[in-house]
Amino acid sequence: MTAAARLTDVRKTYRTDHLEVPAVRGVSLEIEAGAFLSIAGPSGSGKTTLLNLLGALDTPTAGTIVIGGRTTDGLSPRALADFRNAHLGFVFQTFNLIPVLTARENVELPLQLQGLADRAERRARVEAILRDVGLEEMMDRRPNELSGGQQQRIAVARALVKQPTLVLADEPTANLDTATAHEIMDLMREMNARQGTTFVFSTHDPLVMDHATRIVRIRDGQVESDERRDPARGH
Amino acid sequence: MSGEIPPVVTERVVGRVGAALTARLAWRNLRRNRRRTWITATTVALAVLMLQLQVSTTIGIERQSMDNLIGYQTGHAKVLAAGYFAEREELPLDRALTHVESLRRRVEAVPGVAATAARVVFAAQLSDGRDQVPCTGIGIDVAGGETDVFRIQQAITVGVFLKADEPGLLVGGGLAELFGVQPGGWLTVVAKTRHGAYEALELPVVGLVGTGNPDIDRMSFFVPIGTARRMLLMDGAATEISVRFGRGAREGATLGRVRGALAAETGVEVQGWRDLEQEFLVFAQLERVAHGIFVAIFVLLGVVGVANTVLLAAFERTREIGMLMALGMRGTGIQRVFILEGALLGLVGAGVGSLLALVLMVPYATIGLDLSALYGEVDIGYPVKDRIYGALSAGALGVVWLLTAALSAVASLYPALRASRQRPAEALRHV
Repeated sequence: MTAAARLTDVRKTYRTDHLEVPAVRGVSLEIEAGAFLSIAGPSGSGKTTLLNLLGALDTPTAGTIVIGGRTTDGLSPRALADFRNAHLGFVFQTFNLIPVLTARENVELPLQLQGLADRAERRARVEAILRDVGLEEMMDRRPNELSGGQQQRIAVARALVKQPTLVLADEPTANLDTATAHEIMDLMREMNARQGTTFVFSTHDPLVMDHATRIVRIRDGQVESDERRDPARGH
Repeated sequence: MSGEIPPVVTERVVGRVGAALTARLAWRNLRRNRRRTWITATTVALAVLMLQLQVSTTIGIERQSMDNLIGYQTGHAKVLAAGYFAEREELPLDRALTHVESLRRRVEAVPGVAATAARVVFAAQLSDGRDQVPCTGIGIDVAGGETDVFRIQQAITVGVFLKADEPGLLVGGGLAELFGVQPGGWLTVVAKTRHGAYEALELPVVGLVGTGNPDIDRMSFFVPIGTARRMLLMDGAATEISVRFGRGAREGATLGRVRGALAAETGVEVQGWRDLEQEFLVFAQLERVAHGIFVAIFVLLGVVGVANTVLLAAFERTREIGMLMALGMRGTGIQRVFILEGALLGLVGAGVGSLLALVLMVPYATIGLDLSALYGEVDIGYPVKDRIYGALSAGALGVVWLLTAALSAVASLYPALRASRQRPAEALRHV
């Protein structure tokens, strides 16, 4: 399988005037296309930092990151924005939908940022993905009119609508009850299987981890273990 | 699918789609915290209301003043004997125009000129036997164009206008009050003739004029030009020929043509009213600046309010900004959203202020404001009578409106820049 992303000896150290905090300490990882990978580890282990580096939201202190065959090394903030726009989708713990936009408009946003000028095509793609996440009926509602689970489904739709190389989800179920958390994980897994989109998500919830095809455990900013597995079914 | 790079789109397309998205985000964000938006917009509205009324007053009062000066004192231009203008403070009678009628005919033939009138303006003393007041005497050609050029006749408050062949005095209202004289009373004019000898002439007061122009009301009197010529030994001469341009005539072009028509005349010079009233124009300019600074401070406060609102909004939406960056919105896109928010805030606030101003301006421009009722008989420095009228200028309204919106956009630059320069990972961590 080809690699959706490759990290080589990636390090991230946060520096203040008097202090150096190494958050990621030499992580090398190859993420194959179509993976459904969980980054697991306790709080403060460096999961979020690693996800931010993988998502080009932060730049590494050392090492190289290649996503979709392109390196993010030395890119300007503007080029990084364009890179994220083209290659990456995000799902956040707190959903992070734009409250002044409807569900449909939130999902349409990445396509507009890509400059997709054909309004009809945009609408068609948005409606198709909203159908896929089962929220076709809710598309004209604003986020505050939706439940947490529904909001996260919209966020998943927003991440997938532009067909990115990689979807990064930082603790996507942390703010959801167990049943809804499983629903969201099932949805992401289904999209992963159906579209072949690569998913990398962080979690410290063993039940969520069960959905992964590969679990990379992180401790103190380093890879502790890398386990390939058959995801659990039938919960 | 996975691993595919989305189609390359041009900057132009991104810009167009981005503009619609920016506008939608900015407009809806403004409605997000309505109370704060309205408080800021109200501050801007009040400042703009003041500015609009100030601009209306300034334009109105200047128009009125210019109209007054042209209508009572200068006409649009004056034909003078060469050298008179340089010595005009002295009112020299030896620098007079001689072939007056031929000059008038030539000037009246110029396209754009509506009428001309000869005047003899002289330094004089007016006396009632007890008091003697230095003032300006003006001999007017009642039958020869005076009423076509000037509006003195319409400014008579008591009594009647002068008759061409009857000696009489038309006295400025302020002067009359000083002497306690009314039509039917008598005053003595004392003046030096063209040759320097003193001459006195007792004349009946036939009427009083009130023009609002202190130079006339407090310091001038009018006599028929024949009376002035006889008294001052002017022998058919005049110190000036005043010229009124026709409605719609272009001032500069017509003045140029009059100058051209008299170019061959070595003994005359032509001065436009703007040259003649340079002092007033400088005064008006200074007043404009002084009032402008005063009101600009209010507008500045309003605009600072906009900057503060945008700064607060940017701070509150830090995580949202991080998310937009994660989705691939560039820093310039983030800036545009906040700058547009500021501009819209200014546009709405200034729009409300301008609308309120318009509601007040309609009666202000038509009915006017009675200054004497407000302040009594004070000299506000402008030659206007009792009432001031605001100007109802769509151009000025629009300029102030859009300028405030533009200023609000400029004020939002700093918060917008601050918002766009965050690192996405940090912005997303913001609580």
